[in-house]
Amino acid sequence: MAADDDGPDTAGGASGGGDGDLLRAPLVIEYPFNRTTGPVVGAFVTALRNRTVLGIRAADGRVVCPPVEYDPQTGAPLHELVEVSDTGTITSWSWVDRIREGQPVQSPHALALIRLDGADTAMLHVVDAPGPEAVSTGARVRIRWADEPTGAITDIACFELDGGAS
Amino acid sequence: MAGNRVAVVGVGQTKYAAVRDDVSLPGLLREAVFRALDDAHMTMDDIDAIVVGKAPDFFEGMMMPESYLAEALGAVGKPLFRVHTAGSVGGSTALVAATHVQSGVHDRVLTIAWQQQSVSEAMWALSFPIPFQQQLVAGAGGYFAPFIREYIRRSNAPDEIGILVALKDRLNALKNPYAHLHEPDITFESIQESFMLWEPIRYSETCPGSDGAIALVLASEDAAEASAASSGVPPAWVHGTAMRSEPATASGRDQVNPDAGQECAADVYAQAGITDPRRQVDVVEMYVPFSWYEPMWLENLGFAPEGEGWRLTEDGSTQMTGDLPVNCSGGVLSTNPIGASGMIRFGEAALQVRGQAGDHQIDGARVAVGHAYGGAAQFYAMWVVGSEKP
Repeated sequence: MAADDDGPDTAGGASGGGDGDLLRAPLVIEYPFNRTTGPVVGAFVTALRNRTVLGIRAADGRVVCPPVEYDPQTGAPLHELVEVSDTGTITSWSWVDRIREGQPVQSPHALALIRLDGADTAMLHVVDAPGPEAVSTGARVRIRWADEPTGAITDIACFELDGGAS
Repeated sequence: MAGNRVAVVGVGQTKYAAVRDDVSLPGLLREAVFRALDDAHMTMDDIDAIVVGKAPDFFEGMMMPESYLAEALGAVGKPLFRVHTAGSVGGSTALVAATHVQSGVHDRVLTIAWQQQSVSEAMWALSFPIPFQQQLVAGAGGYFAPFIREYIRRSNAPDEIGILVALKDRLNALKNPYAHLHEPDITFESIQESFMLWEPIRYSETCPGSDGAIALVLASEDAAEASAASSGVPPAWVHGTAMRSEPATASGRDQVNPDAGQECAADVYAQAGITDPRRQVDVVEMYVPFSWYEPMWLENLGFAPEGEGWRLTEDGSTQMTGDLPVNCSGGVLSTNPIGASGMIRFGEAALQVRGQAGDHQIDGARVAVGHAYGGAAQFYAMWVVGSEKP
Protein backbone atom coordinates (compact mmCIF):
# COMPACT_ATOMS: atom_id res chain seq x y z
CA MET A 1 0.00 0.00 0.00
CA ALA A 2 1.40 3.38 -0.93
CA ALA A 3 2.00 6.08 1.61
CA ASP A 4 -1.06 8.28 1.89
CA ASP A 5 -1.01 12.01 2.27
CA ASP A 6 -2.81 12.61 5.54
CA GLY A 7 0.29 13.21 7.60
CA PRO A 8 4.06 13.12 7.75
CA ASP A 9 5.77 9.81 7.14
CA THR A 10 7.50 9.03 10.41
CA ALA A 11 8.71 5.57 9.50
CA GLY A 12 12.25 6.69 8.73
CA GLY A 13 14.34 8.40 6.11
CA ALA A 14 14.36 5.80 3.40
CA SER A 15 11.64 7.47 1.36
CA GLY A 16 14.06 10.29 0.56
CA GLY A 17 15.99 8.02 -1.78
CA GLY A 18 13.26 8.01 -4.37
CA ASP A 19 13.25 4.20 -4.55
CA GLY A 20 9.62 3.72 -3.59
CA ASP A 21 7.30 4.52 -0.76
CA LEU A 22 7.55 2.95 2.67
CA LEU A 23 4.66 0.80 3.73
CA ARG A 24 1.88 2.62 5.52
CA ALA A 25 -1.54 1.11 6.17
CA PRO A 26 -4.44 1.78 8.48
CA LEU A 27 -4.60 -0.35 11.64
CA VAL A 28 -7.95 -0.20 13.42
CA ILE A 29 -8.24 -2.23 16.61
CA GLU A 30 -11.72 -2.48 18.06
CA TYR A 31 -12.08 -4.58 21.14
CA PRO A 32 -15.15 -4.27 23.36
CA PHE A 33 -15.13 -5.31 27.02
CA ASN A 34 -17.74 -6.29 29.60
CA ARG A 35 -17.09 -5.50 33.24
CA THR A 36 -18.47 -6.94 36.44
CA THR A 37 -18.92 -4.57 39.37
CA GLY A 38 -19.20 -6.96 42.30
CA PRO A 39 -21.21 -6.54 45.51
CA VAL A 40 -19.84 -3.15 46.61
CA VAL A 41 -19.38 -1.06 43.48
CA GLY A 42 -22.54 -2.73 42.20
CA ALA A 43 -24.45 -1.53 45.27
CA PHE A 44 -23.00 1.97 44.82
CA VAL A 45 -24.15 2.38 41.22
CA THR A 46 -27.49 0.75 41.96
CA ALA A 47 -28.07 3.27 44.77
CA LEU A 48 -27.25 6.12 42.39
CA ARG A 49 -30.20 5.00 40.31
CA ASN A 50 -32.34 5.69 43.39
CA ARG A 51 -30.60 9.05 43.88
CA THR A 52 -28.74 8.04 46.99
CA VAL A 53 -24.99 7.80 47.56
CA LEU A 54 -23.32 4.95 49.49
CA GLY A 55 -19.97 4.84 51.23
CA ILE A 56 -18.43 1.99 53.21
CA ARG A 57 -16.99 1.91 56.72
CA ALA A 58 -13.26 1.08 56.78
CA ALA A 59 -11.46 -0.83 59.54
CA ASP A 60 -10.46 2.42 61.26
CA GLY A 61 -14.07 3.68 61.29
CA ARG A 62 -13.71 6.17 58.45
CA VAL A 63 -16.34 6.16 55.70
CA VAL A 64 -14.82 5.74 52.23
CA CYS A 65 -16.88 7.17 49.36
CA PRO A 66 -17.12 5.93 46.65
CA PRO A 67 -17.03 2.61 48.49
CA VAL A 68 -14.34 -0.08 48.04
CA GLU A 69 -14.52 -3.83 48.69
CA TYR A 70 -11.48 -3.97 50.93
CA ASP A 71 -9.71 -1.81 53.46
CA PRO A 72 -7.28 0.52 51.65
CA GLN A 73 -4.63 -0.02 54.34
CA THR A 74 -4.98 -3.63 55.47
CA GLY A 75 -6.79 -5.32 52.60
CA ALA A 76 -9.40 -6.73 55.02
CA PRO A 77 -12.89 -7.29 53.59
CA LEU A 78 -15.37 -4.42 54.19
CA HIS A 79 -19.12 -4.96 54.45
CA GLU A 80 -20.89 -2.04 56.18
CA LEU A 81 -22.36 0.18 53.47
CA VAL A 82 -23.34 3.63 54.77
CA GLU A 83 -25.63 6.16 53.12
CA VAL A 84 -24.02 9.58 52.88
CA SER A 85 -25.50 12.97 52.01
CA ASP A 86 -26.01 14.56 48.61
CA THR A 87 -24.30 17.68 49.94
CA GLY A 88 -20.63 18.13 50.63
CA THR A 89 -17.54 20.33 50.74
CA ILE A 90 -14.90 21.10 48.13
CA THR A 91 -11.45 20.08 49.41
CA SER A 92 -9.50 21.07 46.29
CA TRP A 93 -10.32 22.23 42.76
CA SER A 94 -9.11 23.56 39.43
CA TRP A 95 -10.89 25.58 36.76
CA VAL A 96 -11.52 24.24 33.25
CA ASP A 97 -11.85 27.25 30.95
CA ARG A 98 -11.60 25.69 27.50
CA ILE A 99 -14.20 23.03 26.80
CA ARG A 100 -13.44 20.07 24.58
CA GLU A 101 -15.70 17.41 23.17
CA GLY A 102 -16.80 14.75 25.59
CA GLN A 103 -16.38 16.73 28.78
CA PRO A 104 -19.22 16.24 31.24
CA VAL A 105 -20.42 19.86 31.21
CA GLN A 106 -20.34 21.85 27.98
CA SER A 107 -19.47 25.16 29.64
CA PRO A 108 -16.48 26.30 31.73
CA HIS A 109 -16.54 24.43 35.05
CA ALA A 110 -14.47 23.28 38.01
CA LEU A 111 -13.00 19.82 38.52
CA ALA A 112 -13.09 19.36 42.28
CA LEU A 113 -12.43 16.89 45.05
CA ILE A 114 -15.69 16.75 47.01
CA ARG A 115 -16.12 15.22 50.46
CA LEU A 116 -19.79 14.39 50.91
CA ASP A 117 -21.30 14.94 54.35
CA GLY A 118 -21.03 11.66 56.22
CA ALA A 119 -17.92 10.56 54.29
CA ASP A 120 -14.25 10.91 55.25
CA THR A 121 -12.77 10.74 51.76
CA ALA A 122 -13.31 12.92 48.71
CA MET A 123 -14.34 11.95 45.18
CA LEU A 124 -13.45 13.73 41.96
CA HIS A 125 -16.35 15.32 40.14
CA VAL A 126 -17.52 18.37 38.22
CA VAL A 127 -18.85 21.60 39.73
CA ASP A 128 -21.00 23.72 37.44
CA ALA A 129 -20.25 27.27 38.58
CA PRO A 130 -20.52 30.69 36.91
CA GLY A 131 -16.77 31.34 37.15
CA PRO A 132 -13.60 30.55 39.10
CA GLU A 133 -14.26 33.43 41.47
CA ALA A 134 -17.36 31.57 42.67
CA VAL A 135 -15.39 28.43 43.66
CA SER A 136 -13.26 28.00 46.75
CA THR A 137 -11.87 25.26 48.94
CA GLY A 138 -14.42 24.85 51.69
CA ALA A 139 -17.33 25.84 49.45
CA ARG A 140 -20.54 23.85 49.93
CA VAL A 141 -21.93 21.90 46.98
CA ARG A 142 -24.95 19.74 46.22
CA ILE A 143 -25.51 16.93 43.70
CA ARG A 144 -27.45 17.79 40.56
CA TRP A 145 -28.98 14.46 39.54
CA ALA A 146 -29.40 13.36 35.95
CA ASP A 147 -32.98 13.52 34.70
CA GLU A 148 -33.15 9.77 34.10
CA PRO A 149 -30.75 7.82 36.37
CA THR A 150 -29.45 4.57 34.85
CA GLY A 151 -27.20 3.12 37.55
CA ALA A 152 -23.92 4.75 36.53
CA ILE A 153 -21.60 7.42 37.95
CA THR A 154 -23.05 9.80 35.36
CA ASP A 155 -26.30 9.70 37.35
CA ILE A 156 -24.53 12.47 39.25
CA ALA A 157 -24.78 14.96 36.38
CA CYS A 158 -22.53 17.36 38.28
CA PHE A 159 -22.38 19.32 41.51
CA GLU A 160 -23.67 22.84 41.92
CA LEU A 161 -22.85 25.42 44.56
CA ASP A 162 -25.19 25.02 47.51
CA GLY A 163 -27.16 28.21 48.10
CA GLY A 164 -25.58 30.02 45.17
CA ALA A 165 -22.08 31.47 44.93
CA SER A 166 -20.00 31.20 48.08
CA MET B 1 18.26 -27.42 42.89
CA ALA B 2 19.86 -24.04 43.44
CA GLY B 3 19.00 -21.86 46.38
CA ASN B 4 17.16 -22.37 49.64
CA ARG B 5 14.34 -24.87 50.02
CA VAL B 6 10.83 -23.69 49.12
CA ALA B 7 7.47 -25.38 49.54
CA VAL B 8 3.81 -24.83 48.71
CA VAL B 9 1.83 -24.49 51.95
CA GLY B 10 -1.37 -22.92 50.65
CA VAL B 11 -3.54 -23.46 47.57
CA GLY B 12 -6.70 -21.43 46.92
CA GLN B 13 -8.94 -21.66 43.86
CA THR B 14 -12.11 -19.91 42.83
CA LYS B 15 -15.04 -21.75 41.38
CA TYR B 16 -14.37 -21.56 37.65
CA ALA B 17 -17.21 -20.64 35.30
CA ALA B 18 -17.91 -19.14 31.90
CA VAL B 19 -18.96 -15.91 33.64
CA ARG B 20 -18.31 -15.00 37.25
CA ASP B 21 -20.58 -11.95 37.20
CA ASP B 22 -21.17 -12.17 40.95
CA VAL B 23 -17.75 -10.66 41.68
CA SER B 24 -15.54 -7.79 40.58
CA LEU B 25 -12.03 -8.51 39.32
CA PRO B 26 -10.50 -7.75 42.76
CA GLY B 27 -13.24 -9.83 44.38
CA LEU B 28 -12.44 -12.79 42.13
CA LEU B 29 -8.76 -12.68 43.08
CA ARG B 30 -9.52 -12.25 46.77
CA GLU B 31 -11.71 -15.38 46.71
CA ALA B 32 -8.59 -17.37 45.75
CA VAL B 33 -6.23 -15.37 47.99
CA PHE B 34 -8.15 -15.90 51.23
CA ARG B 35 -8.63 -19.62 50.50
CA ALA B 36 -4.87 -19.97 49.99
CA LEU B 37 -4.09 -17.99 53.16
CA ASP B 38 -6.62 -20.04 55.14
CA ASP B 39 -5.05 -23.24 53.79
CA ALA B 40 -1.63 -22.02 54.97
CA HIS B 41 -2.99 -20.78 58.31
CA MET B 42 -1.74 -17.29 57.49
CA THR B 43 -3.15 -13.80 57.06
CA MET B 44 -2.19 -11.01 54.66
CA ASP B 45 0.03 -9.59 57.41
CA ASP B 46 2.23 -12.71 57.29
CA ILE B 47 3.06 -12.26 53.59
CA ASP B 48 6.40 -10.67 52.64
CA ALA B 49 5.91 -10.21 48.89
CA ILE B 50 3.33 -10.76 46.15
CA VAL B 51 3.94 -12.08 42.62
CA VAL B 52 1.10 -11.89 40.10
CA GLY B 53 0.73 -13.14 36.54
CA LYS B 54 -1.81 -12.95 33.77
CA ALA B 55 -2.03 -13.17 30.00
CA PRO B 56 -2.07 -9.99 27.83
CA ASP B 57 -3.48 -6.83 29.42
CA PHE B 58 -5.90 -6.24 26.55
CA PHE B 59 -7.74 -9.49 27.29
CA GLU B 60 -9.44 -7.48 30.05
CA GLY B 61 -8.57 -3.99 28.82
CA MET B 62 -6.72 -3.08 31.99
CA MET B 63 -3.17 -1.88 31.65
CA MET B 64 -0.76 -2.81 34.46
CA PRO B 65 -3.53 -4.39 36.56
CA GLU B 66 -1.03 -5.14 39.33
CA SER B 67 -1.00 -1.44 40.21
CA TYR B 68 -4.79 -1.27 40.46
CA LEU B 69 -4.89 -4.53 42.44
CA ALA B 70 -2.17 -3.75 44.99
CA GLU B 71 -4.57 -2.79 47.78
CA ALA B 72 -6.90 -5.70 47.04
CA LEU B 73 -4.01 -8.16 47.32
CA GLY B 74 -2.68 -6.77 50.60
CA ALA B 75 0.43 -5.48 48.84
CA VAL B 76 0.52 -2.01 50.44
CA GLY B 77 4.13 -1.37 51.47
CA LYS B 78 5.32 -4.73 50.10
CA PRO B 79 7.17 -5.80 46.94
CA LEU B 80 4.72 -6.57 44.11
CA PHE B 81 6.01 -8.21 40.93
CA ARG B 82 4.18 -8.90 37.63
CA VAL B 83 4.98 -11.73 35.20
CA HIS B 84 3.72 -12.18 31.63
CA THR B 85 4.57 -15.16 29.40
CA ALA B 86 1.28 -15.72 27.49
CA GLY B 87 -0.53 -19.01 28.23
CA SER B 88 2.36 -20.38 30.30
CA VAL B 89 2.22 -17.35 32.59
CA GLY B 90 0.59 -19.15 35.50
CA GLY B 91 3.51 -21.56 35.63
CA SER B 92 6.15 -18.89 35.11
CA THR B 93 4.59 -16.78 37.84
CA ALA B 94 4.79 -19.60 40.38
CA LEU B 95 8.45 -20.10 39.42
CA VAL B 96 9.25 -16.41 39.88
CA ALA B 97 7.52 -16.56 43.26
CA ALA B 98 9.64 -19.59 44.15
CA THR B 99 12.83 -17.70 43.37
CA HIS B 100 11.71 -14.97 45.79
CA VAL B 101 12.04 -17.63 48.52
CA GLN B 102 14.95 -19.65 47.10
CA SER B 103 17.03 -16.47 47.02
CA GLY B 104 16.67 -16.15 50.78
CA VAL B 105 15.13 -12.67 50.47
CA HIS B 106 11.57 -13.62 51.52
CA ASP B 107 10.03 -16.32 53.73
CA ARG B 108 6.35 -16.17 52.74
CA VAL B 109 5.30 -15.23 49.22
CA LEU B 110 1.76 -15.03 47.88
CA THR B 111 1.39 -15.66 44.15
CA ILE B 112 -1.78 -15.21 42.11
CA ALA B 113 -2.77 -15.81 38.50
CA TRP B 114 -6.11 -15.09 36.90
CA GLN B 115 -8.20 -14.47 33.83
CA GLN B 116 -11.72 -13.26 33.14
CA GLN B 117 -12.32 -14.61 29.66
CA SER B 118 -15.90 -13.32 29.85
CA VAL B 119 -14.67 -9.73 29.70
CA SER B 120 -13.64 -9.95 26.05
CA GLU B 121 -13.18 -12.24 23.07
CA ALA B 122 -9.70 -13.49 23.89
CA MET B 123 -9.90 -15.99 21.05
CA TRP B 124 -9.50 -13.22 18.50
CA ALA B 125 -7.41 -10.79 20.54
CA LEU B 126 -4.03 -11.85 19.28
CA SER B 127 -4.49 -11.08 15.60
CA PHE B 128 -3.50 -7.79 14.04
CA PRO B 129 -4.39 -7.68 10.34
CA ILE B 130 -1.98 -8.05 7.45
CA PRO B 131 0.46 -6.34 6.79
CA PHE B 132 1.43 -5.78 10.42
CA GLN B 133 1.58 -9.42 11.45
CA GLN B 134 1.12 -12.84 9.91
CA GLN B 135 -2.61 -13.43 9.90
CA LEU B 136 -3.83 -15.71 12.70
CA VAL B 137 -7.58 -15.10 12.63
CA ALA B 138 -8.13 -18.84 12.85
CA GLY B 139 -7.87 -18.57 16.64
CA ALA B 140 -5.71 -20.76 18.82
CA GLY B 141 -7.26 -24.03 17.62
CA GLY B 142 -6.74 -23.09 14.00
CA TYR B 143 -3.14 -22.27 14.74
CA PHE B 144 -2.42 -25.59 16.47
CA ALA B 145 -4.50 -27.93 14.26
CA PRO B 146 -1.85 -28.31 11.52
CA PHE B 147 0.75 -29.37 14.08
CA ILE B 148 -1.67 -31.93 15.49
CA ARG B 149 -2.26 -33.29 12.00
CA GLU B 150 1.48 -33.53 11.52
CA TYR B 151 1.74 -35.43 14.82
CA ILE B 152 -0.89 -37.90 13.63
CA ARG B 153 0.92 -38.31 10.31
CA ARG B 154 4.25 -39.01 11.99
CA SER B 155 2.93 -41.32 14.70
CA ASN B 156 0.10 -43.08 12.83
CA ALA B 157 -2.05 -42.56 15.91
CA PRO B 158 -5.70 -43.64 15.48
CA ASP B 159 -8.35 -40.94 15.26
CA GLU B 160 -9.96 -41.95 18.56
CA ILE B 161 -7.00 -40.84 20.71
CA GLY B 162 -8.17 -37.25 20.89
CA ILE B 163 -11.64 -38.39 21.86
CA LEU B 164 -10.26 -40.63 24.62
CA VAL B 165 -8.31 -37.71 26.11
CA ALA B 166 -11.34 -35.44 26.09
CA LEU B 167 -13.55 -38.12 27.63
CA LYS B 168 -11.04 -38.83 30.41
CA ASP B 169 -10.47 -35.18 31.29
CA ARG B 170 -14.17 -34.27 31.28
CA LEU B 171 -14.99 -37.28 33.47
CA ASN B 172 -12.12 -36.41 35.83
CA ALA B 173 -13.57 -32.89 36.09
CA LEU B 174 -16.70 -34.37 37.68
CA LYS B 175 -14.49 -35.18 40.70
CA ASN B 176 -13.23 -31.58 40.97
CA PRO B 177 -15.77 -29.16 42.48
CA TYR B 178 -13.85 -26.11 41.17
CA ALA B 179 -13.83 -27.29 37.53
CA HIS B 180 -15.73 -25.17 35.01
CA LEU B 181 -17.27 -27.94 32.88
CA HIS B 182 -19.28 -30.60 34.64
CA GLU B 183 -20.77 -32.80 31.90
CA PRO B 184 -22.00 -36.00 33.55
CA ASP B 185 -23.68 -37.19 30.35
CA ILE B 186 -20.61 -36.95 28.12
CA THR B 187 -19.75 -40.10 26.16
CA PHE B 188 -17.26 -41.22 23.54
CA GLU B 189 -20.06 -40.94 20.98
CA SER B 190 -21.14 -37.44 22.03
CA ILE B 191 -17.56 -36.20 21.63
CA GLN B 192 -17.19 -38.00 18.29
CA GLU B 193 -20.39 -36.41 17.02
CA SER B 194 -19.58 -32.90 18.23
CA PHE B 195 -18.88 -30.22 15.64
CA MET B 196 -15.53 -30.42 13.85
CA LEU B 197 -14.01 -26.99 14.51
CA TRP B 198 -10.51 -27.34 13.11
CA GLU B 199 -9.84 -30.84 11.85
CA PRO B 200 -8.94 -32.98 13.76
CA ILE B 201 -10.14 -30.88 16.72
CA ARG B 202 -13.82 -31.31 17.54
CA TYR B 203 -15.81 -28.94 19.73
CA SER B 204 -15.71 -31.33 22.71
CA GLU B 205 -11.95 -31.74 22.32
CA THR B 206 -11.45 -28.02 22.92
CA CYS B 207 -10.94 -26.08 26.16
CA PRO B 208 -13.70 -23.74 27.34
CA GLY B 209 -13.23 -20.02 28.07
CA SER B 210 -13.35 -19.51 31.83
CA ASP B 211 -13.28 -16.87 34.54
CA GLY B 212 -11.21 -17.72 37.57
CA ALA B 213 -8.16 -17.25 39.75
CA ILE B 214 -5.74 -19.36 41.74
CA ALA B 215 -3.40 -18.33 44.55
CA LEU B 216 -0.50 -20.20 46.14
CA VAL B 217 1.44 -19.48 49.32
CA LEU B 218 5.12 -20.41 49.01
CA ALA B 219 7.29 -20.62 52.09
CA SER B 220 10.91 -21.11 53.14
CA GLU B 221 11.84 -24.29 55.02
CA ASP B 222 11.26 -22.84 58.49
CA ALA B 223 8.10 -21.02 57.47
CA ALA B 224 6.77 -24.12 55.70
CA GLU B 225 7.32 -26.31 58.74
CA ALA B 226 5.63 -23.75 60.97
CA SER B 227 2.67 -23.53 58.59
CA ALA B 228 2.37 -27.31 58.37
CA ALA B 229 2.54 -27.63 62.16
CA SER B 230 -0.34 -25.16 62.43
CA SER B 231 -2.50 -26.41 59.55
CA GLY B 232 -1.76 -30.13 59.94
CA VAL B 233 -1.28 -30.42 56.17
CA PRO B 234 2.16 -31.37 54.82
CA PRO B 235 3.93 -28.97 52.44
CA ALA B 236 4.59 -29.73 48.78
CA TRP B 237 8.37 -29.35 48.49
CA VAL B 238 9.68 -27.93 45.24
CA HIS B 239 12.27 -30.32 43.78
CA GLY B 240 12.95 -28.55 40.51
CA THR B 241 11.91 -25.52 38.45
CA ALA B 242 12.61 -24.74 34.79
CA MET B 243 11.57 -22.34 32.06
CA ARG B 244 12.49 -22.35 28.37
CA SER B 245 11.42 -20.24 25.38
CA GLU B 246 11.95 -20.28 21.65
CA PRO B 247 10.99 -17.71 18.99
CA ALA B 248 7.56 -18.26 17.40
CA THR B 249 8.80 -17.92 13.83
CA ALA B 250 12.31 -19.38 14.04
CA SER B 251 13.07 -21.29 10.86
CA GLY B 252 13.51 -25.00 11.30
CA ARG B 253 11.59 -25.03 14.55
CA ASP B 254 9.66 -28.25 15.19
CA GLN B 255 6.30 -27.19 16.57
CA VAL B 256 5.17 -30.80 16.99
CA ASN B 257 7.93 -31.66 19.45
CA PRO B 258 9.56 -28.32 20.32
CA ASP B 259 13.14 -28.22 21.56
CA ALA B 260 12.25 -25.75 24.31
CA GLY B 261 9.78 -28.19 25.87
CA GLN B 262 12.25 -31.08 25.73
CA GLU B 263 15.00 -28.98 27.29
CA CYS B 264 12.67 -27.62 29.97
CA ALA B 265 11.73 -31.17 30.98
CA ALA B 266 15.34 -32.40 30.93
CA ASP B 267 16.40 -29.52 33.16
CA VAL B 268 13.63 -29.94 35.73
CA TYR B 269 14.14 -33.73 35.92
CA ALA B 270 17.89 -33.31 36.41
CA GLN B 271 17.26 -30.94 39.32
CA ALA B 272 14.75 -33.37 40.86
CA GLY B 273 16.98 -36.43 40.34
CA ILE B 274 14.51 -38.01 37.93
CA THR B 275 16.12 -40.30 35.38
CA ASP B 276 13.02 -42.34 34.38
CA PRO B 277 10.02 -40.00 34.47
CA ARG B 278 7.52 -42.70 33.48
CA ARG B 279 8.46 -44.73 36.59
CA GLN B 280 9.42 -42.00 39.07
CA VAL B 281 6.58 -39.52 38.55
CA ASP B 282 3.29 -40.46 40.24
CA VAL B 283 0.94 -37.91 38.71
CA VAL B 284 1.11 -35.19 36.02
CA GLU B 285 -0.82 -31.99 35.47
CA MET B 286 0.07 -30.90 31.95
CA TYR B 287 -1.29 -28.07 29.82
CA VAL B 288 -3.66 -29.75 27.33
CA PRO B 289 -6.04 -27.16 25.80
CA PHE B 290 -6.78 -29.37 22.79
CA SER B 291 -7.10 -33.12 23.33
CA TRP B 292 -4.22 -34.23 21.11
CA TYR B 293 -1.71 -32.30 23.18
CA GLU B 294 -1.79 -35.08 25.78
CA PRO B 295 0.07 -37.60 23.60
CA MET B 296 2.20 -34.83 22.07
CA TRP B 297 3.37 -33.58 25.46
CA LEU B 298 3.80 -37.11 26.85
CA GLU B 299 6.53 -37.43 24.23
CA ASN B 300 7.85 -33.89 24.53
CA LEU B 301 8.23 -34.28 28.31
CA GLY B 302 9.93 -37.67 28.09
CA PHE B 303 7.14 -39.88 29.40
CA ALA B 304 7.09 -41.88 26.15
CA PRO B 305 9.42 -42.35 23.18
CA GLU B 306 8.73 -40.16 20.15
CA GLY B 307 5.71 -41.47 18.26
CA GLU B 308 4.53 -43.62 21.17
CA GLY B 309 2.75 -41.15 23.46
CA TRP B 310 -0.70 -41.99 22.12
CA ARG B 311 -0.29 -45.59 23.30
CA LEU B 312 -0.33 -44.39 26.94
CA THR B 313 -3.64 -42.70 26.26
CA GLU B 314 -5.01 -45.70 24.38
CA ASP B 315 -4.05 -48.32 27.01
CA GLY B 316 -5.43 -46.27 29.90
CA SER B 317 -2.08 -45.43 31.52
CA THR B 318 -3.11 -41.76 31.82
CA GLN B 319 -6.44 -42.56 33.47
CA MET B 320 -6.71 -42.02 37.23
CA THR B 321 -6.51 -45.81 37.50
CA GLY B 322 -3.40 -46.00 35.29
CA ASP B 323 0.26 -45.89 36.28
CA LEU B 324 0.75 -42.31 35.02
CA PRO B 325 -2.43 -40.35 35.75
CA VAL B 326 -2.61 -37.13 33.70
CA ASN B 327 -4.88 -34.20 34.57
CA CYS B 328 -6.92 -35.75 37.38
CA SER B 329 -8.36 -32.26 37.95
CA GLY B 330 -9.99 -32.29 34.51
CA GLY B 331 -7.20 -30.14 33.14
CA VAL B 332 -7.34 -27.19 30.77
CA LEU B 333 -9.89 -29.14 28.69
CA SER B 334 -12.38 -28.61 31.54
CA THR B 335 -11.24 -25.23 32.90
CA ASN B 336 -9.35 -22.49 31.05
CA PRO B 337 -8.95 -19.05 32.60
CA ILE B 338 -5.89 -18.60 30.36
CA GLY B 339 -3.63 -16.60 32.65
CA ALA B 340 -4.41 -18.90 35.58
CA SER B 341 -4.34 -22.25 33.74
CA GLY B 342 -0.59 -22.82 34.17
CA MET B 343 -0.68 -22.09 37.90
CA ILE B 344 -3.70 -24.38 38.28
CA ARG B 345 -1.51 -27.21 36.89
CA PHE B 346 1.23 -26.29 39.39
CA GLY B 347 -1.25 -25.99 42.26
CA GLU B 348 -3.00 -29.27 41.44
CA ALA B 349 0.41 -31.01 41.39
CA ALA B 350 1.02 -29.58 44.89
CA LEU B 351 -2.43 -30.71 46.09
CA GLN B 352 -1.66 -34.29 44.98
CA VAL B 353 1.59 -34.63 46.96
CA ARG B 354 -0.04 -32.95 49.97
CA GLY B 355 -2.89 -35.48 49.80
CA GLN B 356 -5.39 -32.63 49.45
CA ALA B 357 -6.91 -33.29 46.00
CA GLY B 358 -10.17 -34.67 47.35
CA ASP B 359 -12.11 -36.96 45.03
CA HIS B 360 -9.45 -36.69 42.32
CA GLN B 361 -6.60 -37.57 44.68
CA ILE B 362 -4.16 -40.31 43.56
CA ASP B 363 -3.52 -42.31 46.70
CA GLY B 364 0.05 -42.13 47.88
CA ALA B 365 1.22 -39.61 45.28
CA ARG B 366 4.74 -38.55 46.26
CA VAL B 367 6.15 -36.90 43.13
CA ALA B 368 4.08 -34.71 40.80
CA VAL B 369 4.87 -32.66 37.70
CA GLY B 370 3.19 -29.35 36.87
CA HIS B 371 3.56 -28.14 33.27
CA ALA B 372 2.46 -25.10 31.29
CA TYR B 373 2.99 -23.90 27.75
CA GLY B 374 2.11 -20.67 26.01
CA GLY B 375 2.29 -18.49 22.93
CA ALA B 376 2.83 -20.36 19.68
CA ALA B 377 3.92 -23.46 21.69
CA GLN B 378 7.07 -21.50 22.49
CA PHE B 379 7.03 -20.73 26.25
CA TYR B 380 7.45 -23.57 28.75
CA ALA B 381 7.37 -23.68 32.53
CA MET B 382 7.56 -26.77 34.75
CA TRP B 383 8.04 -27.74 38.32
CA VAL B 384 8.43 -31.01 40.18
CA VAL B 385 6.96 -31.14 43.68
CA GLY B 386 7.26 -33.91 46.23
CA SER B 387 6.00 -34.96 49.61
CA GLU B 388 9.59 -35.31 50.88
CA LYS B 389 12.19 -32.57 51.23
CA PRO B 390 14.56 -32.43 48.24
